[in-house]
Amino acid sequence: MKVMIVEDEMLLAMELESEVEMAGHEVTGLAMSRSQAQEQIGSSKPDFAFVDIHLMDGPTGVDVGRELAAAGIPYVFVSGNIKKIPQDFAGALGAIEKPYTMNGMKNALAYVSAVIAGDASGSPPVSLVLAEDVTPAKPQS
Amino acid sequence: MPEKDQFQTDARNAGNRLVAGHVSEDPFAAAFKATRMPMIVTDPNQSDNPIIFCNNAFLRLSGYSDDEVIGRNCRFLQGPETDQETISKVREAIAAGQDVAVDILNYRKDGSQFWNAVFISPVRDEAGAIIYFFASQLDFTNVKSREADLAAARHEAEAEVAKHTANLRSALEARTLLVHEVDHRVKNNLLTMASIVKMQARVTKDDGRRQTLMSVLNRIEALSTVQRKLFTLDDVSKFDISEFARELVTDLVDATGRKDIRLTLDLSPLLVPAVKATPLSLIVNELVGDAVRRGLSDGGGDIHVVVRRLNGHFLIRIEDTSEPVEPDIENAELGQMLLEASARQLGAEIERKQDGRKTIVDVVLLVDDHQENTH
Repeated sequence: MKVMIVEDEMLLAMELESEVEMAGHEVTGLAMSRSQAQEQIGSSKPDFAFVDIHLMDGPTGVDVGRELAAAGIPYVFVSGNIKKIPQDFAGALGAIEKPYTMNGMKNALAYVSAVIAGDASGSPPVSLVLAEDVTPAKPQS
Repeated sequence: MPEKDQFQTDARNAGNRLVAGHVSEDPFAAAFKATRMPMIVTDPNQSDNPIIFCNNAFLRLSGYSDDEVIGRNCRFLQGPETDQETISKVREAIAAGQDVAVDILNYRKDGSQFWNAVFISPVRDEAGAIIYFFASQLDFTNVKSREADLAAARHEAEAEVAKHTANLRSALEARTLLVHEVDHRVKNNLLTMASIVKMQARVTKDDGRRQTLMSVLNRIEALSTVQRKLFTLDDVSKFDISEFARELVTDLVDATGRKDIRLTLDLSPLLVPAVKATPLSLIVNELVGDAVRRGLSDGGGDIHVVVRRLNGHFLIRIEDTSEPVEPDIENAELGQMLLEASARQLGAEIERKQDGRKTIVDVVLLVDDHQENTH
């Protein structure tokens, strides 16, 4: 799948990029701010995104998340403070808490790519906090 | 005004009749006259219910002379700041012929105010008709002003408390902000350190070096997991070693992707002081890592992790059934050093038992309540 990484710490972003590529995915781009993310959402049409909450232009990761959700692109937050995530999780599948471990990230990525490929049979890894476990399920409209 | 004079004469005559009804040595009349409590008697059968008798204490309290009092209705004691509702209450009780007790603001002849606790009671004849009203007064201005002083002091104290509370609250907010900021930086730095090691491992062409770097990464990541689990409980000074073990072990075993490594957990919440989190977590990391590495040999195996209290002490048991595997000597040596250092720091005992393919390692942390509560 095509993965976008929204993270303002370039070293972490690049390392995550390697990790994603090692797992056999393609990274469409690294965005460090809301505007960079917006641009890439429009141009590269990723299948999935990792989104840090605190970016170069402030806590705009949540806005990026809402835009991804509006564009129908699944994503997870990657943050050192998952308590800062809004109650409704802004449409995210879940969150990975920093500092994640290599194994934790690997397990989360494997689970997410399986779910996006339509295989929801696996159980979520401990490193991934699922939105549905945190927020009450919304009625289907 | 002759009419008014007439009223006063009538009132005085009524008073005289009242006194004449009592022999001069009547102890009740003597007490009435001599008591320090101000008292009056009014005659409701005369026009406007005038005072027909008052004692010296009442004259002293009000500042009026006997002549100025007799024949007048009590309302001359009222003034501009007297509460109208209280006046109505008295009026209604008198009209209804009932007892009434009120606290009322009254005025002396010189215009000064005093707080008067008045009790008014009807006096009836044998037939039950009201012939007099009797009223006693009590000046409680001192009590009132003491109340006012107390209220003022209380307000002052409350304002002081509010000020200190606000100061404390803002200090607490600043502290919370600082803790969050530091926590955030520590988390970012741990991830950055791990990323640097991973990058170096990616770059290196040498398998031995890569193994060494991954062995270092493993320990850094154990600390990352500790940091993630700190400050998550309501009591931020505590750390749940069970929660840490659960995440560490499942992460590790899941990542192997091996179905032949079977993991079972028996974990009860075990809160330790946050300062013990790092050495304890390093111990768990070494023992679990060791078990997983052994399970990674061709045969797979069972790993069972127990975290619970045992006779007031903390027990961490890692049990595995797997084929012994040739360890990476350097990694094993580092592991041994970390185990020893951590155990020494905690005063923990580590006991290893080998029974064929089965290895049981018990870590017993001797804690009493005192130790448990120190930071």
